[in-house]
Amino acid sequence: MVPVKKNMDILYHSGTLLILLGLPFFLSGTVGLIRFPDIYTRLHALTKADNVGLGFVVSGLALQSGSWAVTAKLLLIWLLVLIASSASCHLIARSAMQKNIQPWTRQ
Amino acid sequence: MSYFIFTIFDIVLVLSMVWIAWHLLGTEDIFKAVVLFISFGLLMALAWVRMRAPDVALAEAALGAGLTGPLFLSALRRMNRTRKGERRLDSDETR
Amino acid sequence: MSWMHTLFALILLPAIIVGLFRILRGPTAADRMVTAQLFGTCGVAILLLLSTGMGNPVLLDIALVFALLAALTTMTFIRRTWHGSGKKKHGYSIP
Repeated sequence: MVPVKKNMDILYHSGTLLILLGLPFFLSGTVGLIRFPDIYTRLHALTKADNVGLGFVVSGLALQSGSWAVTAKLLLIWLLVLIASSASCHLIARSAMQKNIQPWTRQ
Repeated sequence: MSYFIFTIFDIVLVLSMVWIAWHLLGTEDIFKAVVLFISFGLLMALAWVRMRAPDVALAEAALGAGLTGPLFLSALRRMNRTRKGERRLDSDETR
Repeated sequence: MSWMHTLFALILLPAIIVGLFRILRGPTAADRMVTAQLFGTCGVAILLLLSTGMGNPVLLDIALVFALLAALTTMTFIRRTWHGSGKKKHGYSIP
């Protein structure tokens, strides 16, 4: 067993904590996708909560990776997912409005 | 411990893939089948990763997510109805 | 090899599988497409966690390909499959 420096140990455990913090966002995004009544609210639940969860997971893994190249690649992945998710959320919501899909209201 | 968790991961992955394939082949809504095919490609990529073949997983990700999904979706508009009762898109889109 | 990351990936796998119910009984076609996008995001997270869990940094490249091609399917769906057939430009009246 290689003796681990104290600094790396702290980074590793804080990274684990960040990943653990990001998991409920994914699960709540899925629960919102199942439970919400409308396409607009489902888009809202999914494209926001999942990206926050992915941000937590990426930052936790970047703290644990210990190299700048892996950190840059992880941040690039998160940036690409953000761009794709926001663009497709906007496109789907606009197209649903043009197709006369009524938003859900509480009667 | 690691072996145990990997085994549970593989079992859940394989069962969900079989379930997706069953619904994909059984449905009459072709758009639903296309979306299920895209999801099946993603889970297939995960399965290739678990079979320690990352190169095949990379090809599956590029082909399944980037090529066949858009091709099926753009072919869906041009397709004629071949059978009665077969739906290309959802008939009632009210909500 | 760390079993904790694999356990996190195993926790994320039901988030995909539960989303399949929305594909099976989504009222509109957009609901099904949105679920495919959920699969993309969750699949990227699972691949990142498995990359540390299996000790294989190649899996980051597969996640990168997924993130690159995630928008392509949705944009093809909007441009080719689901556009048109709306009468007015912004049809509903704001209550």
